[in-house]
Amino acid sequence: MADRTYDDVTQLPVDDTEDIDRTEVRSYWQLARRRFVRHRLAVIGAITLAVLIIAAAVVPLVVENATGVDINKSFAAAEIVDEEGNLVLALLGYSRTGINMFTQLMAATATSLMIGFAAVLIIVFIGVVIGAVAGYAGGWVDNLLMRVVDIALSMPGLFIIIAFVAFWGASIWTIILAIGITGWTTAARLVRAEFLSLREADYVQAARALGASPRRIILRHMLPPALAPIIVAASLGVADSVVLEAALSFLGFGIGAEQASLGTLLNVAFEYLNREPYLVLFPSIVLILIVLAANFLGDGMRDALDPRQRVEQQ
Amino acid sequence: MTTVSRSVGPLLEIQGLKTHFFTQDGTVRAVDGVSFQIGHAKTLGVVGESGCGKSITSLSVMRLIERPGKIVEGSIKLNGEDLLDKSDEEMRDIRGDQVSMIFQEPMTSLNPVFTCGEQISEAVQQHTAASRREGMDRAVEMLSLVGIPDAKRRAREYPHQLSGGMRQRVMIAMALSTDPDLLIADEPTTALDVTIQAQILELMRDLREKNRMAIMLITHDLGVVAEMVDEVVVMYAGKVVERGDVRTIFGNPHHPYTQGLLHSIPRLDERVDRLEVIKGTVPSPYNLPTGCLFKRRCPFRMPICDVAPPMRQIGEEHTSRCWLTPAGEAPEVGADPTPEEAEAAGEQLTVEPR
Repeated sequence: MADRTYDDVTQLPVDDTEDIDRTEVRSYWQLARRRFVRHRLAVIGAITLAVLIIAAAVVPLVVENATGVDINKSFAAAEIVDEEGNLVLALLGYSRTGINMFTQLMAATATSLMIGFAAVLIIVFIGVVIGAVAGYAGGWVDNLLMRVVDIALSMPGLFIIIAFVAFWGASIWTIILAIGITGWTTAARLVRAEFLSLREADYVQAARALGASPRRIILRHMLPPALAPIIVAASLGVADSVVLEAALSFLGFGIGAEQASLGTLLNVAFEYLNREPYLVLFPSIVLILIVLAANFLGDGMRDALDPRQRVEQQ
Repeated sequence: MTTVSRSVGPLLEIQGLKTHFFTQDGTVRAVDGVSFQIGHAKTLGVVGESGCGKSITSLSVMRLIERPGKIVEGSIKLNGEDLLDKSDEEMRDIRGDQVSMIFQEPMTSLNPVFTCGEQISEAVQQHTAASRREGMDRAVEMLSLVGIPDAKRRAREYPHQLSGGMRQRVMIAMALSTDPDLLIADEPTTALDVTIQAQILELMRDLREKNRMAIMLITHDLGVVAEMVDEVVVMYAGKVVERGDVRTIFGNPHHPYTQGLLHSIPRLDERVDRLEVIKGTVPSPYNLPTGCLFKRRCPFRMPICDVAPPMRQIGEEHTSRCWLTPAGEAPEVGADPTPEEAEAAGEQLTVEPR
């Protein structure tokens, strides 16, 4: 080895294509998925949320009379199939009034999740449109829109929603709408901040220099990089909306017993806190699970969707 | 691209361009009466310190000046048509098609969420009727043209997977994918290390021949200028101070500022303890001196320098904004500007209230 000179090395036959890096090219989404899977809490959050969604969707469908009262079953033990052979899935047994607590819980979860997701759709839509316009246009447009945000923020959200619900009645849709049109401010600020910095990004300037139209710049060059914060805001928004709805129903301004949400269950349970404390327990646990899962999921997605993050080599 | 207008006149002709920025602290005359032209398939070097208005001039040509900046005066003619008269839509068609631009920072000038191929393809689709597929084919073709090995594969990669030199090649590929008449290169090699710099310059020279394209090269690297360009424009504080072909500027610089720039290049063949510098700093744009803008730093300062010098003919195709005689000597003591010169200096003779 020692008597080998530099010339020997350079005279070695060199295959020109040897240097080419032949590792497999992965697409953005493949990379994102890899990063997501590495994030253990996020995966747990995603699974929890998925299980809750599926259970909430399926259980009330397969069980007849999922939220009905049957006084004969008062305090009956947990059972999956009743004595007549019907599927009842009463995994948590029956309450004093003979309500199948598990199926009732799942029906309420369905209502809560639906409100959460639908409200977030509205929040994200309004937030992205207003934030994008403000951030892209800048100047007085930005100023005007941000003052609107300030005004919206200065009003206490819960009271606006209560007034809204009092005025139009407490249906699922009025509550979704009420949460949606009071909750978009944070999303708008996030998107605006992101757009303000992206506007100055070199590649946006480069796109402009290549003759891209404002529409194209916003949709192709600014929205995708801004996606990560939007997704995080959305997943946090789901948690927030579910909690907000629960608070509303708990206070008695939300949905009535006919389409009970988790908040409604808590409201009812609170009355019997002394006699049946376990009634509070299960809706609370589901609520906490939703909030935690949504947060972890958002966290994981933020890391996964950031194209600047690399998959650590292992 | 009309072949008719090609034969007539220069490709780009900038006449008395003024781009000012209206900030809260006052008006900044970032570009203040700049005129020059670039012939077809010629390379023009625009040289000057940071903040002298080089980049603003190029952005003005692209009409990419944003608030609070505004092009207040002048004309920018491309193939005889004034770009300042174009609507925003017409301008978008010109950008990237007839005039392309590459930027200083290859690391950040590519969108991180799209593959290199997609980005080149987008530029192609924007300006031609090409489909996505044709765009991608063109992208691969361009990538191999700019010397990226394994172009097919690289086209599917994201910018973060490439090195700085590679990314600048991608930028060049993108800029050239539509066969522009004029390429504006704003310090294309500043962010790259020296060996890569040489490769990129070589590549640009090569492509200039192949595509018969004119280049406006903005740089503060005089070595790059000497290697690349036909003609040089030296800018200082928003004005052109000297203009001439590259041999004249390097061999026989007239303006003291140009001389200073050339002197401050470190030399390999001499032992020097200290680099020569131009003393002082560029004047604050809010507080420009009256008369010659360079007078506070000028070793040849004369009484007449309190009057703004016009661009004066020094030799054939060589002009300079300085009162020194063509031979570089001080004009006769007490000599006043000739009436023509006084007129050429125009409004600058009157001291503006601040």
